[in-house]
Amino acid sequence: MASQTRDIVIIGGGHNGLVTAFYLAKAGYKPLVLERSAQVGGAAVTDEFHPGFRCSTLAHTAGPILPSILRDLQLEKHGLRLITPDVCVTALSPDGRALSLYQDSDKSAQEIAAFSRKDAAKYPEFGQSLGKIAKVIGEALATTPPDIDHPSSGDLWSMLKTGRAIRKLGTKDMFRLLRWGPMAVADLASECFETELLRAVIAARGVFGTFLGPWSAGSALVLLIRAAGDPHPAGSAALAAGGMGAVTQAMASAAKAAGAEIRTGAEVIEIRVQNGAATGVLLSTGEEILAKAVISNADPKRTLLKLTDPTHLSPDFVQKLQHYRGNGTVAKVNLALSGLPKFTALKNGDTSPLKGRIHIGHEIDYLERAFDEAKYGNFSRQPYLEATIPSLTDPTLAPEGKHVMSIYMQYAPYKLKGDWEEQRNALGQTVVETLAQYAPNLPELLLTHQIITPLDLEEKYGLTGGQIFHGELALDQFFTMRPLLDWARYRTPIEKLYLCGSGTHPGAGLTGGSGANAAREILKELKK
Amino acid sequence: MCSYVVSLLRPEIIRDLDLPRHGLEILPLDGTFTPMPSGDYLWRVNDHGKTHREIARHSRVDAEAYDEFGKAMQAMCRFVKPILSMVPPDPTTLDPRELMKLLFIGRRFQGMSSYDKYNQVQLMTMSAIDFLDQWFETDVLKATMSASGIIGTFLGVRSPGTAYVLLHHYMGEIDGAFRAWGFARGGTGAISNAIADAAREAGVEIRTKAGISQIIVKNVKAKGVVLSNGDEIYADVVSSSVDPRLTFTKFIEAQHLPGDFLEDVNRFKYRGSSGKVNMALDGLPNFKCMPGPGAHLRGAISISPSVEYMERAYDDAKYGNFSRHPYIDMVIPSLTDPSVAPPGKHVLSCFVQYAPYKLRPGLTWDDQKEAFGDTVVNTIAEYAPNIKDIILHRQVVTPLDLEREWGLSEGNIFQGELSLEQLFFLRPVPGWAQYRTPIKNLYMCGSATHPGGGIMGANGRLAALEILKDIKGAA
Repeated sequence: MASQTRDIVIIGGGHNGLVTAFYLAKAGYKPLVLERSAQVGGAAVTDEFHPGFRCSTLAHTAGPILPSILRDLQLEKHGLRLITPDVCVTALSPDGRALSLYQDSDKSAQEIAAFSRKDAAKYPEFGQSLGKIAKVIGEALATTPPDIDHPSSGDLWSMLKTGRAIRKLGTKDMFRLLRWGPMAVADLASECFETELLRAVIAARGVFGTFLGPWSAGSALVLLIRAAGDPHPAGSAALAAGGMGAVTQAMASAAKAAGAEIRTGAEVIEIRVQNGAATGVLLSTGEEILAKAVISNADPKRTLLKLTDPTHLSPDFVQKLQHYRGNGTVAKVNLALSGLPKFTALKNGDTSPLKGRIHIGHEIDYLERAFDEAKYGNFSRQPYLEATIPSLTDPTLAPEGKHVMSIYMQYAPYKLKGDWEEQRNALGQTVVETLAQYAPNLPELLLTHQIITPLDLEEKYGLTGGQIFHGELALDQFFTMRPLLDWARYRTPIEKLYLCGSGTHPGAGLTGGSGANAAREILKELKK
Repeated sequence: MCSYVVSLLRPEIIRDLDLPRHGLEILPLDGTFTPMPSGDYLWRVNDHGKTHREIARHSRVDAEAYDEFGKAMQAMCRFVKPILSMVPPDPTTLDPRELMKLLFIGRRFQGMSSYDKYNQVQLMTMSAIDFLDQWFETDVLKATMSASGIIGTFLGVRSPGTAYVLLHHYMGEIDGAFRAWGFARGGTGAISNAIADAAREAGVEIRTKAGISQIIVKNVKAKGVVLSNGDEIYADVVSSSVDPRLTFTKFIEAQHLPGDFLEDVNRFKYRGSSGKVNMALDGLPNFKCMPGPGAHLRGAISISPSVEYMERAYDDAKYGNFSRHPYIDMVIPSLTDPSVAPPGKHVLSCFVQYAPYKLRPGLTWDDQKEAFGDTVVNTIAEYAPNIKDIILHRQVVTPLDLEREWGLSEGNIFQGELSLEQLFFLRPVPGWAQYRTPIKNLYMCGSATHPGGGIMGANGRLAALEILKDIKGAA
């Protein structure tokens, strides 16, 4: 088929691809975003999964989005309305108690006081210390990881800046940062607090989306990375009117306004390489698009081992990339409900604590046992759940009086003993039964459920291994090592081929950080 | 009675102390034998060709990778060794001497090939199994190799950070040869005796049965010690080789120490996870998979048949139980050193993990001691059924025994867990990794300091060098 030459082609219109497209367009280039699905968004989409019921299909809260991206893309002008409820998270306990944490630290402390006065007194200080450390990490997340072999003067400068920011923390917090990073999040939470429910809800942040249990060393790092974008100790609830799809729709609108072109229903099946440089892409229709540069929002394995002929890469690189760890642990279940479930822990019919995230996993050991099953290839029979009921804050998502509930279920290992297709319904059943322990009338209200297994995440959403962060978040796959040591600077061994997805630094969550960093580096290269 | 093999003893210490002249003789321990429930086994020996053929019997690919792995590990050891022999820098000061140390490490890292850098970074951060998965496919090989990644830690083979411990043990070197473990003739007690002899010859006076009850502190200075019999001994320098919990919370009154420091001391994790079972035997164990006596009994015998077996052993411990099917590392020293048992009889020394110091509520170690011993015997009997008939005597050492009788807090054999957040400049207390303490003239020189536990001796040497520096500075 006739080929056309473009400036820049971006494979995949997920949030990072769209952010990269925006910044390149703003710099005067004419990027073309090629999205396989009928709508942009990748893992941040809203679908009608039952007539009249719409829900964030995968991601249900934002990372949150980096303030610089909100500002540069003027997302609110492009129709985004963020919803940040006062309540961040409500943790439920099977003994009928609930602990809600609010944006306001003092209000949270009051809630905690019902469990432990000691913890209530410690909570604000913990929040402050975490906030200070997170701020320093946040600065590191916004930089391009330095080149380890040949640090440039710019690299040295940014390392110096990070070093100075770390130094400003003072000795105590500096050592905290060094000590906390490699720790188990269970140890971190237990060191600070005595209330098991509080420990568990904080620890959950360190294991969400990873193949780690709260007792796994290094899980505290995951907490710190997440805190960098969101310093609330247990994480806030960054929702959007219209679900997460509204976020990416606004990003797409901003990118288009800046001059980017977006084509949906355009599936790239191959990245063309000639003499060690990317020359364009081949679509499933046979159409070939030539480009001066190709940027991939797909994960590193998919980009370099599937879309690219690996013979263009050195065997050593291929081997390392094959070892890049990324076996997912998360499944998603979305429920259409004929009414609001009644949670036994909420007294006096007060539903406001349900507006944020709902956390199920009342003890560190509960979370750890859930993880144990995944290690041996089973999904957790008593899973850790993170749920939202977005129709409470945005009634347009469901018919009047009805609700949608979006649930992350962990652990659901990608590598299952047995077949995911056969166990799909058992997984949905487990989620509903677990919820019913806290809201007994939920099964009666259930109209339908949508079950997304890790295998679906791979097959339908292109996430290799079903890993929602495009690769495990761990010490050995972070910063200068994401995705691989020496290849953390958005470039690949193939010239003119770049990465901009979550498999690059900083990764993790719907923040747009990777896309913004990638755009900055690619612009530098293009100007050469 | 507790330690059973030597390997981590630093060669410079063997040399400086001239330990062979003081009666230390190391008998090599040849290989590791891993029996499997299937009736098969994996038997690695020091003979390269034999090991290659043995691994190839399980997987040809792994046999090739095994050599590569050995080379890669050697490169890692070369990088880490000088770091083990240095006083950790303080990363928070701007003192040029401290910065130079950091620079030294940075330069050494820079100097490595990109292949070695990649391995090094992974080794510092990954789990033993994730690391080994990249090299090998044979489950039993990975399981038995990963075992050294968990010894003395409260971590599982899949816990990040265990790859480093793997290296820590890989560094075993005797007389400068990499990766060779051995027995001391007469038991590991012979090492301490040889070191004591060397010390005496150099002018040290040693008093045994002299328990300490207090360290005398006046005006934030250590002045001496009080013995448990009430005697007071005054000294210019006090150096403590016991762990920080004993040193700072038992021997010193809280009022003498800054609150932050005490908080950090209390936070230091011990979490003993292992026990010992020693047996006097009327003969040799007879393994189903390789019947009769033979060379396979002269090395280490490892009960680590699969990765899942190892991980499940850990799962039990996480919830406060000893492993129902524990990892056991056995040696029969009487085969190499007949002096330790009457003719025809043998000694079997078993290192057992996991035996968590903190059992779940309702259980105590004094009640569980014999059940733990039985579990060990039953586990061995699955592979060598005659074991039950030849036991003359059994000694069970629980983590609680290690604490009560050997003064190891929570029964941790390394005086504190070897986890990343407790290594190098964070060991034992952030900001106090240079063998000094907030109390003047009081020093730490035990395993709780950098570079950690194992019979290494490096801690004592580095502490001595720092103490000498202070004395000379004051003079």
